[in-house]
Amino acid sequence: MDTNGFKDGVKGALPIVLGYLPVGITFGILARKAGLTSFEVGLMSLFVYAGASQFLAIEMISKGIPNFSIILATFFINLRHILMSSNLSVYLQNVRIPTLGLLSAQMTDESYAVAISKLPWMKNRPHYLLGLQIISQLAWVGGSVVGALFSSLATSTGWGLPFALPALFICLLVLQIKNAHHFWVMVIAGISCVFFKWALPGNWYILLTALFASGMGMMIERVWRKNS
Amino acid sequence: MEEELMRQSMLILILGMGLVTFLPRFIPMAFLSRWVFPEKLKAGLNYFPVAILSAIVFPTFFTDGSQVEIQSQYLLAALPVFLLAWKVKSLWGSVLLGMAVYWLLGFVL
Repeated sequence: MDTNGFKDGVKGALPIVLGYLPVGITFGILARKAGLTSFEVGLMSLFVYAGASQFLAIEMISKGIPNFSIILATFFINLRHILMSSNLSVYLQNVRIPTLGLLSAQMTDESYAVAISKLPWMKNRPHYLLGLQIISQLAWVGGSVVGALFSSLATSTGWGLPFALPALFICLLVLQIKNAHHFWVMVIAGISCVFFKWALPGNWYILLTALFASGMGMMIERVWRKNS
Repeated sequence: MEEELMRQSMLILILGMGLVTFLPRFIPMAFLSRWVFPEKLKAGLNYFPVAILSAIVFPTFFTDGSQVEIQSQYLLAALPVFLLAWKVKSLWGSVLLGMAVYWLLGFVL
């Protein structure tokens, strides 16, 4: 009988592993082509461990965008983790700070989503989260290193590789559309970002669009609530 | 020498990204376990991922540098990916389908 939940966590990680391995491999391949060494690829997957940010970072690296902008963009993309982390913290009240450090560093959208599906049971079973997240990150780091080491086998223009990133981001975007409000925020953001990119220098359009469109989302929500 | 600077800059980037991804994950879990978020902030953050991902996705189809210009190969490959992602919600399936359609369109366009 598994009392602390570690094994259940490992089992819960399997669907995440299936998702992370191939995307990790794709990341490793593209990161090598952007000029990172295989060691740096592994290091980034270990210390940053944020899919969208890592893909965005290598895109920005290959465009020669300075480190500061990349770090700033990374910060804003991952602000959403504040809510997930707060949510999980309620169920981890008796866990020591060093353990929380590890648990929080390995938290992703996917591990959070799997963990909250186990919520009443998961309470004060940090080993479940530990098992779930260690295996998930292992798949991400392992996948990206494998991709980096064998990147020479894939050519950069063949096999539709230029579309790997856009396709991944489309899917990540669609996964975020949970109701009609989200859909309209996407439409507003889609139109305004093209305008902002045309009107403004550099990559300020990303931040400006994010602030403008999420503000519009809050307004839409308020107006619809009033009318219903 | 230039190579050495490049590696150094990459290390700084990785550590910087590591720090800014760690803090939003760690601080709430460690310190805010009993703090209730203001509803307004919660509602705003609710739309943030959609907005920022849209800002990353859409310029790929409609801009070339700072010029507004439809990128037909990207746009046409994007449509089936949107549909598949919507119906199946599979990251890897969407990436593979997108790459395949984009690759095939390369012969036609």
